[in-house]
Amino acid sequence: MVKYIGKRLLRSLLTLFIIITIVFALLRLMPIEGYFQNFEKMSATQIQVGLQQLGLTDPLPQQLLHFWQGAVQGDFGVSHKYRVGVDVLEIIAGKIPLSLAIGLTSLALALLIGLPLGILMARSTRTRWKIGDKLGTVFVVVIQAIPSAIYYIFIQFYCSQLPGFSMFFDAKRPLTWILPICSLALGNVAYYAMWLRRYMVDEANKDYVKLARAKGVPTAEISRRHVFRNAFVPLVQFIPTSVILTLMGSLYVESLYSIPGMGGLLVNAIQIQDNTLVQALVLLYAAISIAGLLVGDILMAVLDPRITLGKKEGGR
Amino acid sequence: MPNENAILSFEELEIRFTLRGQVLNAIRGISLDVMQGESLAIVGESGSGKSVFTKSAMGLLDANGAITGGHIWYGGKDLAQFKTEKEWLTIRGKEIAMVMQDPMTSLNPLKTIGDQITEAVLLHQGLKGEAARKAAMDALAAVGIDEPERRYRQYPHEFSGGMRQRVVIAIAVACRPKVLICDEPTTALDVTIQAQILDLIKALQKKLDLTTIYITHDLGVVANVADRIAVMYAGDIVEVGRCEEVFYDPKHPYTWALLSSLPQLGVKGQDLYSIQGTPPNLFYEVHGDAFAPRNPQALNIDFVERPPFFQVSPTHKARTWLLDPRAPKVEPPEHIRQLRQKGGYPHG
Repeated sequence: MVKYIGKRLLRSLLTLFIIITIVFALLRLMPIEGYFQNFEKMSATQIQVGLQQLGLTDPLPQQLLHFWQGAVQGDFGVSHKYRVGVDVLEIIAGKIPLSLAIGLTSLALALLIGLPLGILMARSTRTRWKIGDKLGTVFVVVIQAIPSAIYYIFIQFYCSQLPGFSMFFDAKRPLTWILPICSLALGNVAYYAMWLRRYMVDEANKDYVKLARAKGVPTAEISRRHVFRNAFVPLVQFIPTSVILTLMGSLYVESLYSIPGMGGLLVNAIQIQDNTLVQALVLLYAAISIAGLLVGDILMAVLDPRITLGKKEGGR
Repeated sequence: MPNENAILSFEELEIRFTLRGQVLNAIRGISLDVMQGESLAIVGESGSGKSVFTKSAMGLLDANGAITGGHIWYGGKDLAQFKTEKEWLTIRGKEIAMVMQDPMTSLNPLKTIGDQITEAVLLHQGLKGEAARKAAMDALAAVGIDEPERRYRQYPHEFSGGMRQRVVIAIAVACRPKVLICDEPTTALDVTIQAQILDLIKALQKKLDLTTIYITHDLGVVANVADRIAVMYAGDIVEVGRCEEVFYDPKHPYTWALLSSLPQLGVKGQDLYSIQGTPPNLFYEVHGDAFAPRNPQALNIDFVERPPFFQVSPTHKARTWLLDPRAPKVEPPEHIRQLRQKGGYPHG
């Protein structure tokens, strides 16, 4: 197990290294305005001096090396536009808690609603009219088919009319948390319900369920101890990925509700061409994504004994 | 009324399935007594309803199937009247247990072997905690698995096919049933393992005083284990008798045809015998003898009226008009008579 995790960790680091290099290379292609506060008024010599101070006139390999050294030491440079002279990490650290709070709450909410919904739908496929399954499918299809941006706006527009609710987020008023959290959760609810239903229906038709019935296990217990348990394993792999999706999704929701979180920050940084900040943010997202996949893989390996850790021939 | 020595007794059982609006008569009025302590083999080709028939005694029919007539007597109760899961839970495992065909898929891949046996122990032996664990390990040892302590903690994928079938048997036995239904227990196994598994079931039957019902289309298995044979065709039992009676003195043309298809009876250089035609479509009502359309020697009445059972001996009966005193004398095929003269069972 330790060996497996170690291997996966090394591979993740390699991926991260490649991503950092690509981000670095891309940023060299960005216009240099992003490094100066009042680029228009500066003379050519001033710009040259400025670039030299930032180390941007060095040969590329040396720049990459510098960048790498900085990254390893946690130094990603200072912001040149957003908040001039402030360490980008400090800016990000100030924003993360809010995004994380909203993202994780919505994910928890999605699991809390999506999983029971999936179980309900799967159970309903065994009844005569399959009403639960049909209604659930309608919900899933609607949510999956409509671009999230559209129902986000609908929710904001109509639900904010309710007393106590607001078009905008205010961290101090708990009611204003509800709309963005629900908006974010909606997609995940549909996602989890759909996949859990699918896996549970698959599992319920397997022979071991028949054997469990034949040995006299009550249906409710089979459903819980065998079918749900086994159907949940492939879902576990999705959960860390969901964490990432929540963060990405919040790009939009956060700017809709004017939430001072991570998502809005990236949009902002790109708009004002604050190169160092963009660089650090992209890196952070990449790192989170990779970590999510890594955790997903490890969870799968822990839960499914058939996954032979790290071996190619694995007897599936 | 059921025979008093019968532990399980089917009486005029009818089972129907509804498939896409059509009604399929899967079981068409079967009466059969399963005697206490015997081992009965139900043979028949695929689709003849062997599995459905036995599953009905455990309430394991698929949701679109139902018992539409007749009775299943067990312990003074009519299982055919059972409606709720609660009623069936008094039978499943506890009284009648089952060993399924494919050991590769009949164990939960994500639970340890131990957990899966313990589940049965907890349900049926009234033991808890360490005692249940102990009982599960005993069950593993009883089916001939070495190092039960280590095996207990392993997962199904760490077992070979034959070993898994032993585990499935251990689970069935851990329920402490009185009747054990073995639904093609060796079909999915290697030939070398088949005999071991059959020997194991036979040994357990003796040790635990079980009544066993084998479902199979492998006559080699039948010859090896069965006291009595019931031959099934198109949702009906056409011939029942002691093993030697059915093998050496078969009366129903379908039994003849089935025995003729045995590779052991083939002559080198000649094509193997195969029964012409296909089984009847059970979506339609069957008139007369279901086998008549495939039987070259069928009598006219075979197409009109369903034959009753004619008693050949106290233990042997067959559902064919050939046994009617008015029927012309039709001899079984030459090689069937040879089988009798050779006096050997067709070992698989």
